[in-house]
Amino acid sequence: MDTEKRIAELSERLGYIRDIFGSRENANITLLTSKLHEFGEREPLASPQEAARLVQQLEDLFVFLEKKLDAELSAMDVVRIVRHPHRVSLKDILENVYDNYTEIGGQDEYSIDPGMLIARAYITRRRGDKVHHQPVMVIGQEKGHGQEFRNGGSVKPWGNAKALQYMKVAETEKIPIHTFVSTPGAFPVEDYPGAAQQIARNLYEMAGLKVPVVSVISEGGSGGAEAIGLSDARLMFSHGYYSVISPEGAAAIEAGTRQGQRVPPELITACAERLKMTARDNLSMGYVDRIIQEPHLGARPYHYDFFKTLRQEIIRATDQVFLSIAGMKFFRAMALGRHKDVSPADAENMYVRWTVDEAAAERLLWRRYRKYRCMAENAFVDSRSPTKRLYANVQGVVWSGYSFLRYDFLGKQEKRLSKALGEVEGELRVVVDKMSGSLRKMTRRSGPAVCDAEKSRMLTELSQPELGACLEDWGWSYISPRAREDRAVTCPNMKQSGCPDLWAPDLFGDFAGVCSHCGHHFPMEYQWYLHNVFDPDSLHEFNAEIEAGNPLDYPGFVDKLEEAKKKTGRKSSCLTYESRIDGKKIVVAVLIAPFRGGTVGAAEGEKFIRALARARKRHYPFLAYVHGTAGIRIQESLNGLIQMPRVTMAVRRYIEAGGLYLVLYDTNSYAGPVASFLGCSPYQFAIRSSNIGFAGPGVIKETTGIDIPPNYHNAYQALTRGHVQGIWDRREVRKNLKNALLTIGGRNLYYR
Amino acid sequence: MISKKHKVLVANRGEIAMRIVQACRRLGLDFACVYTREDHASGHAALARELGGESRLFRVSSYHDANEILSVADHAKATAIHPGYGFFAEDFRFARRVTERAHPLVFIGPSWRIIRSLGDKINTKRLARSLSIPTVPGSDRPVYDELEAEEIAETLFAFQAEQGVENSVVLVKASAGGGGMGIEEIHDIDQFKTVYRRVRNYAKRQFHDEGVLIEQRIFDFNHLEVQIVADRTGSGIMHFGTRNCSVQSTGRQKRIEVAPGFRPEEIHYAFDAKKVMDDIVSFSLAMAREVGYDNVGTWEWIVSPMGQPFLMEVNTRIQVENGVSAAISRIKGAGGVDIIAEQIRLALGDSLGYDQNDITFAGVGIEYRIIAEDPANRFTPWVGRIDRFTAPGREWLKFHSHIPQDAAYLIPTEYDPNLALAIVWGRDLAEAKARGISFLDDMVLAGEDQTGASLKSNVAFLRDKTAALLHF
Repeated sequence: MDTEKRIAELSERLGYIRDIFGSRENANITLLTSKLHEFGEREPLASPQEAARLVQQLEDLFVFLEKKLDAELSAMDVVRIVRHPHRVSLKDILENVYDNYTEIGGQDEYSIDPGMLIARAYITRRRGDKVHHQPVMVIGQEKGHGQEFRNGGSVKPWGNAKALQYMKVAETEKIPIHTFVSTPGAFPVEDYPGAAQQIARNLYEMAGLKVPVVSVISEGGSGGAEAIGLSDARLMFSHGYYSVISPEGAAAIEAGTRQGQRVPPELITACAERLKMTARDNLSMGYVDRIIQEPHLGARPYHYDFFKTLRQEIIRATDQVFLSIAGMKFFRAMALGRHKDVSPADAENMYVRWTVDEAAAERLLWRRYRKYRCMAENAFVDSRSPTKRLYANVQGVVWSGYSFLRYDFLGKQEKRLSKALGEVEGELRVVVDKMSGSLRKMTRRSGPAVCDAEKSRMLTELSQPELGACLEDWGWSYISPRAREDRAVTCPNMKQSGCPDLWAPDLFGDFAGVCSHCGHHFPMEYQWYLHNVFDPDSLHEFNAEIEAGNPLDYPGFVDKLEEAKKKTGRKSSCLTYESRIDGKKIVVAVLIAPFRGGTVGAAEGEKFIRALARARKRHYPFLAYVHGTAGIRIQESLNGLIQMPRVTMAVRRYIEAGGLYLVLYDTNSYAGPVASFLGCSPYQFAIRSSNIGFAGPGVIKETTGIDIPPNYHNAYQALTRGHVQGIWDRREVRKNLKNALLTIGGRNLYYR
Repeated sequence: MISKKHKVLVANRGEIAMRIVQACRRLGLDFACVYTREDHASGHAALARELGGESRLFRVSSYHDANEILSVADHAKATAIHPGYGFFAEDFRFARRVTERAHPLVFIGPSWRIIRSLGDKINTKRLARSLSIPTVPGSDRPVYDELEAEEIAETLFAFQAEQGVENSVVLVKASAGGGGMGIEEIHDIDQFKTVYRRVRNYAKRQFHDEGVLIEQRIFDFNHLEVQIVADRTGSGIMHFGTRNCSVQSTGRQKRIEVAPGFRPEEIHYAFDAKKVMDDIVSFSLAMAREVGYDNVGTWEWIVSPMGQPFLMEVNTRIQVENGVSAAISRIKGAGGVDIIAEQIRLALGDSLGYDQNDITFAGVGIEYRIIAEDPANRFTPWVGRIDRFTAPGREWLKFHSHIPQDAAYLIPTEYDPNLALAIVWGRDLAEAKARGISFLDDMVLAGEDQTGASLKSNVAFLRDKTAALLHF
C-alpha cells in the first residue's frame, strides 16, 4: 500500500518534470521514465521488502536527477514552473509561513476579485519568555492550483483597488505590508476604473506609503506586478520570473504576428532568454535585493522546508527595513552590521520592533525614493563629455541652492510679510471707506451722462492700432507636411455625419487636422504642438544627449534603435524642454510616437525624472505631453519596467513639493507609462484624437478572449470612467493650457 | 484682348448661371454648366443645352461639393471657374483650392486672400477704421474683459444721447457668432451685466470663444451699396455708382434695388444726399485700393436718418443686383453695360480699357425680385407648380428668369424660391416708377400648389413699395 502511494507520488513528480521541460528531449528524463517503467514491471514480482528497497533507490535517483535537471533549467522552463498548477500559491504561504491569519474581503470565489488575496496575519516571535505577535498586512495575487475563478492571478482593476484600500489601512494601523507578486499581468479591461488607471493610482499611493513594504516576487508579470510591487525590500523566488512582458508576448511582437497566428515555439524560448527575466538576472541588474532559494525544480506545496526558509527571509527583510529607519543612527548602524552576519535562521529569534513614527516614516520615504532613483542608472547612454557632465552637476547643485534660498528661505519670509501687509491694508480700507463715504454722498453728481470725448473715440476709431488692422491670426506656425498634397481626404465619420471630403491643405493646414464638419481629429505630428502651443522661439531642449541604449544586448535591437534615431533625428522617445506659454515658464516632457512607438525605457525615464527635478527646483509647472506611447520598451525588460514605479515616485515628489503636473494625451497612449507616471496625475487631459488604455484591442482579445466594442479606448470612454479630466479640441490646446496654468496648481509655482 | 481659349465652368444654377453663360458667349468664351437632378428643368440647363449642346452639361450631386465641381472642371477641360453668388462665391478656401491645386484654374472673383480678409467682419471694420472710414460705433475687436465691456457700453449710451438718438439701444454680440446667433440688445446700462454674461457664456459654450462685440444698434437706416470693379493689377479700380437696397423682407433679404442710391434731384432729403453718395463711393474706393482689390465687389453701407454712413460689410463677389447698376451706367457714353462680362474679362487678366471719367450715369434703374412667397406671412416661401409666367416685352425692361415660359415648372424645394429679376429703366425716378408699376401689372404669374391653392407671390408687395422708393 505504502509502496503504491510512493510510486504514485513519483510518477506525479515525473509528470511535473515532463511538464516543466515541455517537449524537450532529455537523457535524465528518459532515464527516470524508463526506471519508473521498469519498476512498474518488476514490482509485482518482488517481495514487499524488495519493493520498498527499490522504491527507495528510485526516490534517491529522483532527488539526484532533479538536482541535475535543476542546473539545466532554461528561462522558458522557469516560466513553465511558475505557471504550473503545483506551484506554491499565496494560500499555501499564508498557511505555512504566518502563524495565524484572517482573510479579508472574500473567501474563494466569493470575493470582489478572487485573484487578489488580502489577509491580516501574525508572525509570532519569542524573545526569552516573551511572546510577540507582530501583525502584518499580507497582499498578493492568488493563482490557486488551477482554480478557474482565480483567473490565474490576473487581477482586475477592482482587485487592485482592494489591495490599495488595505495598504492604506495598514498605513493607518502602522503595520508593515508583505506583498506577494504572482501574476502573469493585470487583466486588461477598461471598466470602472480602467486597469491602467488603477495601477497608476496604486503606484502613486505606494510611493508615499508610510509603512515598510516587503515584496516577494514569484511571477512578476509586467504592470500587474508593479501594482503591488513597489517596496522597500524586494525578494525573489529563485525559480520565479520578473519581466516586462511574457515571452509569448515578446515573441509575437518580434515576429510581427497578427491575432490568431501562431508564433514558433523556438522564438518564444529565445525571447525568454533575451528578456533576462530570471531571479539571477534581476539580482545582478539590481532590481531585486535577494533571492530566496527554492527546492530543485521549484517550490511546491509539500516543500515544508521551503516555507521555513521563506519565513526567515521575510522576517529578516522586514527587520532590515525597520532597522534602517530606526530612530537612533548609532544603534541602527550597529544593529544592521550585526544583522548582516546573522543567518536567516537566527534572525527569527532576534527581536526588532515593527513600528514607525513620523520621523522614521520620512526616512523611509526618502530611502525608498533613493532606492528606486538609483535603479537603471546605467541602462542608458549618456554621450556627454565628462566635463559637460561635471558642469551639469555643478549647475544642478547651484540651482538647488538658489531654489532653497529663493523659495524656501526668502520666499517664506516674503510671503509672511505680504500676508501681514495685506491684512493691514484690508483693515485700513474699511476705515477710510467709512470716513469718506459721507463725503462722496454729498459730492455725487446727478443728471444725464455726459459723453467723454476721449472715451467716445474708442467707439469710432481703431482700437489698439499697434496690433495692426488685421487681428485674425491666419494659420499656424507649423504646418503638417501632409498639407502640401493636392488631394481630398474623407473623414471616417462620413457615413454617420455626412462630412464633405476635405482638401488636404485645408484639413492639415488651417483646420489643424480637424474635420470642419464633425470635429473628427486626424492624428497630427508632435511638431505641430511644439510650434503651435508654446510661445514662438521659447523651446529650449535640455538633456538631449541622454540616449536610448540596449542594456540587455537584445539581438538586433541596436539596428532598430539606430533606424529610429535616424528617422526622427532624436536620441530617445522623450524630449524635455523648458518653454513658455503666454509668458509663463513651464517644463515640458514629450513622448513622441515616431521613435519606437513612444516606448519608455531607461533613457526616457531618466529624462522624465530629471525634467521633474528641474521643474521642482525652479518652481515651474510641468506638462507631460504624450504624443503617443505604446508602453514600456520590452527590449529593455526590467530596465524599462522599473521606470513605472521609479518615475511615479519622482512625480509624487514633485506634486508634493507643490508643483502642477499636467498630462495631455494625444494619439494612442497605452500600457506601462499610462499605468504609472502619466496615469497618476490629478490633471490629465486628452485631445479628441486620443485613445487611452492599458492594452490594445488585439492583446485584450488574446489574453481575455473578450471581443471589445469599437471606441473602447477612445478619449470619451476614458472621460466616462474618470481617467481623464477633460477632452480638448486640438485647436484650443494653447488656450486651454493657458487657462489651466492660471487656474490649477499649488501655490508653490513661481508665478502664484 | 483675352485669349479665347478659356473655358469657364459655371458652378452655380438658375438666373445667375444663365447670365454667366450669356456673358461668356458675348465674350466669345467656351463654357460648361453643372446641374443637379432637381434642376434638370431649370432654365440654365436648357440654355447651356441650347448654346453649347449636351457636351457642355454635367450633372452633379450637389452644387456644394468642391471635389465634384473640380473633377467636372478637369473633365470638361475648363480653365476657369465662375462661382456666381451664394455657394462657393465667398469661400476663400474654395478660391484658394481652385488657384493652388496641382492643376490650377482661374477663379473668377477676387484673389482668395482678399476674400479671406474682407470676409471677416471684425477685420473689415478695423481695416476701415485704420483708414478713418466710418463704421458702426462700438468695439472693433472681441472684448474679453467685463470691465472694459461695461465701459464701452456705458460710453455708447452717452454717445447716442449726445447724438440725439432717442431710444438708445446697444447690441451685445458673440464675436464668433453670426446669422443672428448670440445677439442681444440692451436698452439700459443696468441690464448690461446680466446680458453680457449670458452672451459670453453662450459664446463660450457655442463657439469656444468668450469674446463679445458691443455695438450701437441703428434704426430706420437706408441700405446703400457701392459697386466696385477692378482688374487683376489691383490698381485699376473703378466704381459703377451706388444702389439703394432698403426694401427688404422681414428676414433682411433684399426685394427691390434702385440705382442710384439717392435721388436729390427729385426728392428732398434731410441731409446732403449727394455728399453722402460721394463719400461712400470715395471711402469704398479708398478701401479697395488699400487691399489691392482685383475683381468685382460691393461695399455695403447703412445710412442713418441723419445722413451718417457706416460701413457694414464687403461682398467679395458679383451680386444679384449687379444689373441695376449696369442699367444706369454708360461706358464712354455707350449703354449695354454687362458687369458680369466685365468680371469674367477682368478676372481672366484683361485690362479695364477705360477710366473713371469714361463711366457716366443716366436715369434710374429699379430691380424687382419676383419671388413665390407670402409677404403677409413673414415671407414664407411658397412651393408648387408654376403654370404661366410671362413678362411683357419692353425695351426699357430686362427680364432674367430660369423658369421656362413655355411649360409648367415645379419649384424645387432644395433651393431658394427666386423666380425672376426684372430690371426697369427710366429717364428719371418718376418714369422708372411708372414703368415699374406698368410692368408689374402686365406680368402674368399663375400656378397652384398640391392642395390646389393658387400661387402666392410678392408682386403686390413690390407694387406697394414702389411708391415710396428712395424716400428717406
